[in-house]
Amino acid sequence: MRWLKWFEFRGKSLFHISYSLHRLTGIVLVIYLVMHLSYLTSIRIGREVYEYFTSTTLTPAFLIFDILLVLAGVYHGVNGLRLILHEFGLGYELRRPLLYLCYLLTLVLWLYASYQMYLFVMGV
Amino acid sequence: MDVIFRVRRFDGEKSYWSDFVIPAKKGMTVLEGLYYIKENYDGSLAFRASCRMGICGSCAVKINGKPVLACETQILHLNSTTIKIEPLDNFEVIKDLVTEFDGFFTKHEAVKPYLIRKEDRYSEPEELIQKPEQLYAYYKYSLCIKCGACYSVCPASSSRDDYLGPAAMTAAYRFIADSRDEGDGERMQIVCGDCGVWRCHFAAECSEVCPKKVEPAKAVQKLRFRSAIYMLEKFFIRW
Amino acid sequence: MRIRNDIVIVGAGLAGMRAAIAASEVSRDLSIAIVAKTYPIRCHSVCAEGGTAAVMREGDSFDLHAWDTVKGADFLADQDAVEFFVREMPKEILRLDNWGCPWSRTQDGKIAQRPFGGHSFDRTVFAADRTGFHEVHTLYERMLSYPNIVRFDEYFMTNLVIEDGEVKGLTAIELKTGDIVLFEAKVVIIATGGAGRLFGFTTYSHQVTGDGLAVAYRAGVPLKDMEFFQFHPTGLIPSGILMTEACRGEGGYLRNSKGERFMEKYAPAKMELAPRDVVARSMWTEILEGRGLESPYGPYIALDLTHLGEERINERLPLIRDAAIKFAGVDPVEEPIPVRPVAHYTMGGIHTNMYCETPVRGLYAAGEAACVSIHGANRLGSNSTAECLVFGRVAGERAAEYALKKSYYPSTDFLKEEEKRINSLFREGEESAYEIKAELNRTMDENLWIFRNEDGMAEAVKKIIELKERYKNVSVADTSKKFNTDLTFALEVGFMLDLAEVVAIGALKRRESRGAHYRTDYPKRDDERWLKHTLAYYSKDGPIFEYLPVTITKWQPVERTY
Ligand SMILES: Cc1cc2nc3c(=O)[nH]c(=O)nc-3n(C[C@H](O)[C@H](O)[C@H](O)COP(=O)(O)OP(=O)(O)OC[C@H]3O[C@@H](n4cnc5c(N)ncnc54)[C@H](O)[C@@H]3O)c2cc1C
Ligand code: HEM
Ligand code: FES
Repeated sequence: MRWLKWFEFRGKSLFHISYSLHRLTGIVLVIYLVMHLSYLTSIRIGREVYEYFTSTTLTPAFLIFDILLVLAGVYHGVNGLRLILHEFGLGYELRRPLLYLCYLLTLVLWLYASYQMYLFVMGV
Repeated sequence: MDVIFRVRRFDGEKSYWSDFVIPAKKGMTVLEGLYYIKENYDGSLAFRASCRMGICGSCAVKINGKPVLACETQILHLNSTTIKIEPLDNFEVIKDLVTEFDGFFTKHEAVKPYLIRKEDRYSEPEELIQKPEQLYAYYKYSLCIKCGACYSVCPASSSRDDYLGPAAMTAAYRFIADSRDEGDGERMQIVCGDCGVWRCHFAAECSEVCPKKVEPAKAVQKLRFRSAIYMLEKFFIRW
Repeated sequence: MRIRNDIVIVGAGLAGMRAAIAASEVSRDLSIAIVAKTYPIRCHSVCAEGGTAAVMREGDSFDLHAWDTVKGADFLADQDAVEFFVREMPKEILRLDNWGCPWSRTQDGKIAQRPFGGHSFDRTVFAADRTGFHEVHTLYERMLSYPNIVRFDEYFMTNLVIEDGEVKGLTAIELKTGDIVLFEAKVVIIATGGAGRLFGFTTYSHQVTGDGLAVAYRAGVPLKDMEFFQFHPTGLIPSGILMTEACRGEGGYLRNSKGERFMEKYAPAKMELAPRDVVARSMWTEILEGRGLESPYGPYIALDLTHLGEERINERLPLIRDAAIKFAGVDPVEEPIPVRPVAHYTMGGIHTNMYCETPVRGLYAAGEAACVSIHGANRLGSNSTAECLVFGRVAGERAAEYALKKSYYPSTDFLKEEEKRINSLFREGEESAYEIKAELNRTMDENLWIFRNEDGMAEAVKKIIELKERYKNVSVADTSKKFNTDLTFALEVGFMLDLAEVVAIGALKRRESRGAHYRTDYPKRDDERWLKHTLAYYSKDGPIFEYLPVTITKWQPVERTY
């Protein structure tokens, strides 16, 4: 179970935690993608099945999952851009401010997206 | 002040914890505490240490969850009454705090960590000119004491035995950036290879724990930049 | 297990690794094993801070370097060896440069040099204040490029096999498994470093317990000049960590409790940069006469760098600043560093000639473990890493030539015997090796320190003999095999006891003051009777002493003033 070390938080700095979260969110996104695609392909079984599936995802109870999913997605995306920057040897000295910026950006984007989704689901 | 040392033990078969009471004084280091245990309580406690001045790299252990040099860490600075001492992660434990380092050194060796010059003048060496700014371009990376702290926290090393690891990458960069070195091609081949820099995920924990502030993550990042250019060059030259 | 090689080098410090490289350069067909109880880059040489002396520039000369060395040695050095040594040195610096050593540089990119105690020219080449560290790493890395050098890391040498005046090999414990291994070899080179841990307050690493010296001594090889032990003026209190001489080389001052630069009383010309024995004695006199500063760890002297400024300290003495902050809580940029003289260097060692040959065929010694005698009664700063490089090379080359000529491998049945001896230590005894070591350290610190006298030394000898007696009953509690540091510690203490005896009796016998050996009851140098090397031979009832004349070529002994 050596891969469990990927998600070892104790005694670790924020950088390592960001890495763990990135990996975690990546996996979540893959799982979501698989689910998402299987929902979409369910239309091949029949329109009713498809509509049943999609309608469950538009309930307020499901909103909470969506909001978390967006958090994962946004974090993964923003942090991913940060990583791409670093991977090419840029901005190493700025890594701490960039990390904070990345968290801030994630938070802002996520709140905004959640608000929009809330409006959409509640049908306002 | 009395402090409890909770030491992770391993006797070849089973692991267990041992507690020892250490009368800590101002200025006393964790290493001195370990010697205190060995001299007064339990001679069978095994740990590595030599220079006790933070330069030989023997004494890296995990203290309260963080890899540090035991000889550089003062007990009272830890501000805790129970101090947990464990061997480094990502290394196989031989006994108590002593871990297997052969693999680590083999990986270091794999990046050809020596100055490569086209002409080897063993019998008639000459003075090479290196300006201070050329020296400082790599000097920081030559300060690595190979204590293994970076390797022990590297998530890429934890799940892949073949990744060469932050210390080896730093060693590679130290020579690549040295103005006297002429072995770029040879070394880049290894660095860009399957076990090289592209395995890094920039968790950057190595830079956080390095007791000598060598910043292995930075070396890896700089190497990536060079690797990218090197691979592009190779690609276009082949065309 | 048996392992067979042409050359076995024990000790992977500067001297050992330099020897391995030199031997491999002679012939790539030789199989060379380098055996050490630590990984090579964990050896004690990494602690060397200040620098390495070599004549590199206009204005300096070989004769001047040799004269400084001989005068520093209080004329006990063999002058033919010194002359050879200074001539070979510059090439070694350049080789290290060609192998990647990050020497500190001048603005135009040349290798920089700094002043050092006892040298009358700025000839100490350095890599910040981590010279030994960079040299060791450079040699280690270079060594990796030779395919015929095989490393045996973490093998603890326990005995040397000498039969019929010829070396046959050695035995060692493989720490990882606990197995005893017999290395059979045509040639053995001992480069195991000094014996500094005889003293309690010392700059040495924990590993420097004189194993190689004791092993060779027990096997019948004589030890030379062991009574000469260098005390470095500036050891950080309380740990003893070295504050390099470069602190003074870069312009630092020593001050007593009145704030005076007291060195003007003792060495008006060279001041703080007089040789170490002179400065250490002056500091100790100040302390004895009550002009030391007070601390919970006893009186000390202030090493003042504050006037150098932060920038210079950061550039030239980064390690010192770091260590002072970490280990003493003092930032040298703002406050003086608390220091006291500290045991620092073993001038004596295995008796060899200029070619590193011992009296035993096929056995060579180099580095601090050897006493070629270029340091005589007092080593000059930065001459010892230099010695390791030059004589490491000589030993390697000579050994390789010898091994190429020798057509057969020796064989021996020593393994069984050694296994029995080691296993006999695992027993129920009432003595603890740790206690014996602590008592030994106390005795040495008290009676064989900077100022010595008849009574003190006689008492030390008595104590050491008593400790040796007690050691016969020592027990090793840990009976496990893997990485048994309890066992190796007990073995080390055994080695140290034998060496302490040689040091103490040798010092007691030498009724004069010369270099680092200073006797309050015989405060004068006595060239008529004592201008000679001490040789100590092992016997069951303690060392047997002989004396050997000093080789003098150009420089007759004169009075030593600074
Ligand atoms: C703090 C300090 C600072 C110094 N600064 C300077 C300086 O600025 N300039 C200068 O010229 N000199 C300096 N010196 C002196 C110099 O560092 C040493 O004299 C020199 O490094 C000795 O090198 P060596 O190769 O002989 O031995 P070491 O480096 O001590 O190596 C000994 C080797 O032998 C091995 N070994 C020992 N026992 C056994 C055994 N039983 N079995 C197997 N292997 C064994 C060890 O593992 C090690 O690899 C300094 C010394 C100290 C203590
Ligand atoms: C904005 C879009 C995205 C960006 C910028 C991005 C960026 C990145 C980056 C840079 C990495 C490498 C991280 C590393 O080196 O450790 C990565 C890994 C990964 N990504 Fe993305 N990604 C994005 C979208 C996605 C999506 C939509 C998914 C899911 C389908 C996904 C799944 C993963 C997975 C599983 C990993 C591997 C995890 C790891 O190696 O730590 N990513 N991503
Ligand atoms: S003992 Fe050498 S680094 Fe800690």
